Order: sequence, then C-alpha cells, then structure tokens
Amino acid sequence: MDISTAQALVLGLGLYTGLGVLVALPFVLRGAGRVDPGAERAPWSFRLLILPGAVALWPLVARWWLRARRREGP
Amino acid sequence: MSHGYKAVGWNRQKRLYDGVLAAGVATYLLLFCGGMLLTRDTATLETALIRDLGTCALLLLHVVLVVGPLARLDRRFLPLLYNRRHLGVTTFLLGLAHGTFALVQYHAGGNRPWLVSLLSANPRLGSFSQFPFELLGVLALLILFLMAATSHDFWLANLGAPVWKALHMAVYLAYALLIAHVALGVLQAETHPALAGALVAGASTVVGLHLLAGWRERAGDRPAEARLPSSSEADGGFLEVCRLGEIPEKRARIVTVGGERVAVFRYDGKVSAVSNVCRHQNGPLGEGRIVGGCITCPWHGYQYLPETGSSPPPFAEKVPTYRVRLEGDRVLVHPFAHPPGTRQEPACSDMATLATAPPASIES
Repeated sequence: MDISTAQALVLGLGLYTGLGVLVALPFVLRGAGRVDPGAERAPWSFRLLILPGAVALWPLVARWWLRARRREGP
Repeated sequence: MSHGYKAVGWNRQKRLYDGVLAAGVATYLLLFCGGMLLTRDTATLETALIRDLGTCALLLLHVVLVVGPLARLDRRFLPLLYNRRHLGVTTFLLGLAHGTFALVQYHAGGNRPWLVSLLSANPRLGSFSQFPFELLGVLALLILFLMAATSHDFWLANLGAPVWKALHMAVYLAYALLIAHVALGVLQAETHPALAGALVAGASTVVGLHLLAGWRERAGDRPAEARLPSSSEADGGFLEVCRLGEIPEKRARIVTVGGERVAVFRYDGKVSAVSNVCRHQNGPLGEGRIVGGCITCPWHGYQYLPETGSSPPPFAEKVPTYRVRLEGDRVLVHPFAHPPGTRQEPACSDMATLATAPPASIES
C-alpha cells in the first residue's frame, strides 16, 4: 500500500473513531436507557462495557437513539 | 436474561470458568516466553513476547471454534460452551497485545506515524510469498474487536438475533485471515516442518469437527414423515414424531416438522413442544432439561415455560410453540408454528403406559 493511501486510511479511521466517541459517550450515559429499558438503571460497569461497541457502531446507535426520541415525542 | 443489564452476571460457574481460563493463559505465556528465551540464544524478550501473545491468541481461537461442534458431538463438552464469550474476549485482548507489541517493536522508530508505517512498510500486495501479512493480522484483529465489543447481551437484544449471529459468524473469516497471517509471516522465517504441521493440524481439527458435527446434525434432520413411513399420512394435520417412551422424563426429543427443528419435552405426565432454537444465541433447547418447571437451554441457562414458550417473569424472551397430541404412546405434533409465547395445552400422558415404556436416549 502506498503512503498516501495509508495516510488517508489512518485519517479516515481517526475521524470515524473521533465521531464515534462523541456519539457513544452520551449514548451510554443516557441514550442506551431510552433505546432499551433494560439499560435504564444499569450500573456504570455495564455502560463501560458497551462503550467500545457504541464507538464502533455509532451510526447505528445514533439511529436507534433518534428513533427512540421520536417515539417518545417532544 | 434481558431484564436489567449487568456488566457480567457472575455466578460460581463463571468465576470457576474464568479462573481456569486465566490460569491456563498465564501458564502458557510463562512457559512459552521462558522456554523461548532459554532455548534460543538470539531471542530477545520483545520477540519472545510478540510470539508468545500471538500463539496464545491463535491457540485460544482454536478452542473457541471447536467448543461448539465438540458440545454437539458429546454433551460432556457443554460446560466449555457456557462462557465462550469470555474465551472470545480473551482471544481479542491477547491479539491486541500481540499487535501493539509488534507495532511498537517494528514501527515506532521511524519518522512516519506508526499506523501509516505499518500499512505502507511492505508495498508488495501483488506477491504471494512476500505479501504484507501484517495487513491480514490487522483485518483479523478488527473483526475480533467488533465481536468482543458486541458480545454483551445488550447488543444481541438490540441488533436482533439474526444480525448478531451473522456478525459473529465473521469469526471464521478472522480465523482464515490469521492462518494466512501466520503462514505468510512467521512461517516464512521459521521453516521447521513441525510448525507448519501444527498449523495444518489445527486447521484440520477445526474443519473436521465442524463437518462431523454438521453431518451428525443433518442425519437427525430427517423429517418426521420420512423417519416413520407407516405414519406418513397426515392425521388432522398432525404428524407422528416418535413414541412417548423415546422421550426421557424432563428431557426432549428433537424432531423436524415442517422443515423446522422442534423440541418435544416430556415432564410431570405431560408433553409440550417448542421451537428448538433459544432466543439468546440460537442454542439447542431440546438438548436442555426441565429445571424447576422450565425448559433450560444447555448453553447459557435461558429458561422458558413449556406450555407457553415464554420466559418466566420478569424476563421477556419467547419462542414459538406447537400443538401436541398423544394417541396411546404415539406422540403427534402439528407442523404449524404458533407465534412466540402462544399458550398450547400440553398433551397429558397415561402414566401406566409410561411405566412400561423402554428407556431411550436423547436424539441430538
């Protein structure tokens, strides 16, 4: 792989992960409980455990969260 | 079960399982690293650690992959399946440590960022023997990360069982990538035939056990009509699936009706039928037992009431149910699967008939 492709890949991965952290942190603190009632009163250790998955799948968890908010209404 | 998540639902078995796992990994790491440093004059601590962690991860991945088919072939291996997700997460952590050490050792000293150096150090993508094997390892590690990160039941419940299962089937792709990573990497430098032999033996064991378990399962998938030709005639839509005496008390016989595997349970003078597929991780409910009045999955202990296919409150899992009828000692099941959680009256058996029935083993 040439250097410019490698640089673009690393930059892309960094951006994706950065955005993922921005979405995942509030999601594990508040959003997870709205998406799944089982997570509403879950301990911090559970929230920590689902954080890496939320970072990796942030577009999906953002969609779940938006859908849950629409369901609940304003 | 999915009511009020915890990080880990610890119990005695899980503590024991993880204790044995941690002790096994620690022993392997110490023995391998110590052995390599003692027997090779040229070995450095860094190289020994990188190979130590990598081989341990690969070995553990073999265990992760063979536990499933082994448990299907012999019930004595079921306890290994109980906490397989911790095996998987440990495999990822060992692989991550291997990759991090290798990244620091081989790419931290240059003037390019480490990851850019890793991805661009070997541009021979068109070569087979000199292919940049590191990329294969990185891809495998990304897959193992995704699996470890989504191993909690929260992800299973919210992604849905089919998507979650499909995602976790990627472990086979990760395994293939790792075999290629080792074959095109360390085996190009270490040419002792025993190492290549061990890699081939490991891969053959994984493939062979999967084929054997699949073949055994397929043999049990003959539809009820084919297994009992004398009763192939539909009886009000019901199909004869077995004799009552063939189902041990508080256990099930797994049969195939309407193309689906159905677990027919016998308990307390009653017979009920539910889907054989557990809602949790598609475990084989029919290989479980009735414990405390509930069908209990042999994989992770998820429970369902036999009459309704619903988990006892406050849990919410449900499996499809089937109508059952008894005619003498003939067990008949209607092939229509009712929606998950639909109550079906159990068929009541004649205890006198049961008393004279010969003992039978479970079909798996």
